[in-house]
Amino acid sequence: MILTGWEAVFFWVFSIAAIFAGLLTVMARNTIHSALFLISALVSVAALFILLHAEFIAGVQILVYVGGVMVLFLFVIMLVNVGSEERGSEEIFNRPRQVAASVIFCALLVAALIAALNNGYAGLEKKDADRIQAAADENRIRDRKLPKSATGSSRITTDTQRMGGSLYRYGSLPFEIASVLLLVAIIGSVMLARTLKQEAAVDDVDPGVLQEEAAHDPELAKVQPEPLA
Amino acid sequence: MLMFNFFSPAIALLFQEVTQGRLAVAWEKAQHPDLSKFLTIGALLFIIGVAGVLTRRNIIVIFMSIELILNAANLNFIAMSRYLQDTGNVNAVAGQIFAVFVIVVAAAEAAIGLGIVIALYRNKETIWIDEIDILKW
Repeated sequence: MILTGWEAVFFWVFSIAAIFAGLLTVMARNTIHSALFLISALVSVAALFILLHAEFIAGVQILVYVGGVMVLFLFVIMLVNVGSEERGSEEIFNRPRQVAASVIFCALLVAALIAALNNGYAGLEKKDADRIQAAADENRIRDRKLPKSATGSSRITTDTQRMGGSLYRYGSLPFEIASVLLLVAIIGSVMLARTLKQEAAVDDVDPGVLQEEAAHDPELAKVQPEPLA
Repeated sequence: MLMFNFFSPAIALLFQEVTQGRLAVAWEKAQHPDLSKFLTIGALLFIIGVAGVLTRRNIIVIFMSIELILNAANLNFIAMSRYLQDTGNVNAVAGQIFAVFVIVVAAAEAAIGLGIVIALYRNKETIWIDEIDILKW
C-alpha cells in the first residue's frame, strides 16, 4: 500500500488536520469547542479511511459518530453546567504535577511506539517487498476492468460489496450480538437518566428512600405509582 | 564572507544531507506514505487521547478523548486491512469488520456513559472528576 501523487498530498493534509484537531480537543477551554474539534478530527480520520479504500467505514463514521454520538455529546454539554470552566474560574487540567507526569509518560510512549513502528515496518517491508510489487500490478490491472462511474472520472469499486459479503458470511453472529448490545445500551441509558419522580411514577424506588425524599419534596409525595396494565 | 568560509563545511554537509542524505530519503518517503505512516498517525491520535484522559478534569472531555482513542484503533485496523489486501489477500477485510464493531461499541459506550454523567450531575451537581470521590476511601 503506497500512496502517490494527490493521494499523498491528501494523506498529509488530513493526518495533520486530525492530529491538530485531536490536540485542540484535549486542550480547548470551552467544552463545546472541544466537541467541535473532535468532530473535525473524526471527519479527517474518515477522509483517511477513504484513502485506505474503506468507503463504507468512512460513511458509517460520519453518520454514526458525527451525526449521532457527537450530537448526543453536545446535548449533554448543554444539560450540565460547564460555565465556570469557560469563564476561567476553574482549572481545566488536573494538578500540575499530575499533568507533568502524564505528559512525560505520553512522550515516552509516543517515542517508543514510533521507534518500534519504524523498526518493525522496515522488517515487514523487506519480507513482503516482492509481494507488494506484484500485488500493486495486479490491483492496477483489476481496477482497470472495473466499470466507469456516470461522470467517467472515476471507477465504481467493489470494496463495500466485499466488506458486506465478509460481514454477513463470517461475522453474522457478532453482528446479531452487536444489535442486542445496542438494545441494552438504549434501555440502560433511559433507565440511568430517569429522575426520582419518573422512577416513583413506575414504583421503582426503595420505599424508605421515597419517604425520606418526599419529606422535603411535596411534589414527590403526590406521585402515585400507576397500576401495571 | 569570513563567516561563510568558517561555516562552509557545515553548509556543505547540510547541502549533502539535503540532496542525498537522510533528509532526501525522508522527503522521498513523505511523498509516498505507506503503512508505517498510517500507523504513526494512529499512534499519535492514541497518545493524544491518553493524555486527555489523564490530564483533564471535565468528565465529558474525558469521554471525548476515549472516542479519539477508539478512532485511533479503527485507523490501525483499517490500515492493516488495506495492507493485507495489497499483499495478495484480496478478500482480507476482517479489519474493516472489526472497525464496524468498534464503532458500535463506541456508540453504546457513549450512550451509557452520558446517561451516567446526567445521573451523576443530578445527584452531585458537578462534572469535575476530582470532586466525584465517594468511592475513594
